[in-house]
Amino acid sequence: MLCRVADDLFWMSRYVERAIGVSRLIDVTRHLELDAGDIDFWTPLVPPGITVTGDVRFWLTSADENPDSLVCCVRRARELARGVRESISSEMWEELNQLHASLTRPTATREVRGDAGGFHRLVRERLQHVQGLADATLAHDEPWHFIEIAMYLERAHATTMLLHRQGHLLTTVEGTDTDLVKWLAVLRSAGCAEGYARYYALRIEPARIIEFLLLNPVFPQSVRFSLTRASESIGIIAALREGAGNDPGPAVRTIGRARALVEHGAVDEILEQGFAEFLGTVQSALASVSDQVTATYLRDQPQSSRLGGVERAAVLMAEQQQQ
Amino acid sequence: MRPEAGATLAMYDLGGFWDEMFEADGRVREHYAQLAGRLATLSPQDVTRRQVAAELSFQARGITFAVNQDPGGLEKIIPFDLIPRIITAEEWRRIERGLEQRVRALNLFLHDVYHEQKILRSGLVPPELILGARGYRREFRGVEVPRGVYTHVVGSDLVRDASGEFYVLEDNLRTPSGVSYVVENRRVMKRVWPQIFADHDIRPVEGYPQDLLDVLRAVAQPIASEPTVVLLTPGVHNSAFFEHAFLAKAMGIEMVQGSDLFVDDATVYMRTTSGRQRVDVIYRRIDDDFLDPLAFRGDSLLGVPGLLATYRMGRVSVANAIGTGVADDKAIYAYVPTIIKYYLGEDEILPNVKTYVAADPLERAYILEHIAELVVKSVNESGGYGMLIGPHAPAADHEEYRRRIIADPRGYIAQPTLALSRHPSWQNERLDGRHVDLRPFILFSGDEVTVTPGGLTRVALRKGSLVVNSSQGGGAKDTWVLA
Repeated sequence: MLCRVADDLFWMSRYVERAIGVSRLIDVTRHLELDAGDIDFWTPLVPPGITVTGDVRFWLTSADENPDSLVCCVRRARELARGVRESISSEMWEELNQLHASLTRPTATREVRGDAGGFHRLVRERLQHVQGLADATLAHDEPWHFIEIAMYLERAHATTMLLHRQGHLLTTVEGTDTDLVKWLAVLRSAGCAEGYARYYALRIEPARIIEFLLLNPVFPQSVRFSLTRASESIGIIAALREGAGNDPGPAVRTIGRARALVEHGAVDEILEQGFAEFLGTVQSALASVSDQVTATYLRDQPQSSRLGGVERAAVLMAEQQQQ
Repeated sequence: MRPEAGATLAMYDLGGFWDEMFEADGRVREHYAQLAGRLATLSPQDVTRRQVAAELSFQARGITFAVNQDPGGLEKIIPFDLIPRIITAEEWRRIERGLEQRVRALNLFLHDVYHEQKILRSGLVPPELILGARGYRREFRGVEVPRGVYTHVVGSDLVRDASGEFYVLEDNLRTPSGVSYVVENRRVMKRVWPQIFADHDIRPVEGYPQDLLDVLRAVAQPIASEPTVVLLTPGVHNSAFFEHAFLAKAMGIEMVQGSDLFVDDATVYMRTTSGRQRVDVIYRRIDDDFLDPLAFRGDSLLGVPGLLATYRMGRVSVANAIGTGVADDKAIYAYVPTIIKYYLGEDEILPNVKTYVAADPLERAYILEHIAELVVKSVNESGGYGMLIGPHAPAADHEEYRRRIIADPRGYIAQPTLALSRHPSWQNERLDGRHVDLRPFILFSGDEVTVTPGGLTRVALRKGSLVVNSSQGGGAKDTWVLA
């Protein structure tokens, strides 16, 4: 398949997954605020180095100046999908297109204020529908593998970021009801509360939450599960490239090493040796994998025309007479 | 009693024009009888509900076009007019024969112009008109094209005048567009008004993408046994991007941009995730000038460096061929009946609209004097741009166009303002007449000419307007050719 198409599918898939994560985070934090309103839960959600003037919730939901806001993610996913609509199923394209249309309607913000819970639930359902359609309507060949790689890399990244940013919720061990609410919120932010309960059937404890989100082999939100799936797809893509007589690139080995960290890690050792450090190691491995996938499969060679003159290119595209 | 849409049939105003659905005395034409019967059973709200459902369907599927010169990217749907246009089998046979004749003659003309140039010596067409055409590519003289095909895809615009006779208004021989709407209009129509399909035996249009793929594979150079065909798009900001994606998907081929392709060792490759892959046939939807920055426009970011040298060597096929613009130049258009006679020895089946070529001193004098009655067109523009409709324009515009014509006589032609036929259109909960044209799509493989039974009926939705282009507020209808 074309490098450009693979690149756009990769990022489309990342933005869809990112939007799901952002939506869940907003939704959960809103609930958290209702239960324990004396603490500012919103500010820690803003990445370091960024100052948000005004409402953090709005900034996360629809601020144009936040490229990772829910609305921006959906817009970018939809733009990318439009550019490669011949490579995805019509159902996927229509779902994303309609979601985007519903978010950009003038009445959309009113809906958010009126029933935020319902709004986020609906948005997540439609985004997950896009993911489900990718699975059900695409052949599980190259394009689908790029969609998978992107989704799981993004998810692993989001889960580690969640543990990083919400780590403060897991550290205040006072044995109060409020603690429980906070710990549950961390699980819910990753969409894992029910999964955790079913898996452990035990009281909620910070160490087990960390274990579940990082090391669980079967739950689809865990870092280990995500890395396993991503590495399987990367392996298939690399084999195709090798079969065509080309260098398969370093991504297979890099993700293999990251997998080893979570497959052979134990939560007590991780906490003993430094939780933040461990998260940092996993995150930098994820960043390397993403860069290497990009360099090997998505860019055949540096393309100067794609880097510069984007606006000029847009004008020329529009100028092409279609009689 | 609830009001019926049929009531508006009786109130319909012909406005003195030739109407596609009604005879001059107000009776429904025979081939529209079933449709009229259906309409009579529906309330206006029923019809409007279907109209709205159709528009929602286009919106949801993202069947949009980007408005030209607006790369910021407004996406609009082409307004869809629910009332279908119906063409009888007999009338279609004549259209088909006429278009086939025209396309064969134009391909012989193009081959001649790029080889022996016999027609230049015949004195039938002024040589300076051909050699001075903006679309003429002298550097491709002597280059062989596979199977002698220059125009693989043609979209010619037909209109009916006050007498009901079909005329060819112009040919589009470079990058004709709109065929995706032909297929999508039919699909949407079936969805929102399935009942009327039971009353008619309508020829299907879904075969177009496969027919196109057959043509593209047929012109692959013999070195390719299992040819790789790609569609080259200018990209997502182009007005017809939806169509490019639609066709690539329906044909199951890659849609590429210039940056996806490169030339190495006289071969065109595309960059794929598992390395380079050879490309044999390029269905391009990019103007000649932008195909190769080494050959034409050095500032083009859309093209592929080295593509034209590869093409010249016969190592890749390009459809439509390079240089076809010389044959759809609006001044050359005036000579198409002559061209048909010269190459085929036949009279034209579909007549031309009377055309005054400003490059000719006598005709120029006529144009300047009668500009208020004429339609003036720039010879190289399309999409309804660069055009003056004399009777509808203020005197200042007449003056402006007089100045332009005097400054650049080769750049303009003029035609009488035609009383284009009208078709009932669903407007404000009733039927109202609007001017229409018809763009059939013609494929040429070197042996066979295939005309897709239907084509795009474009509607000037603004009351009284004669401009049907989507860029100028035109809409579209499903177009039925009866079996």
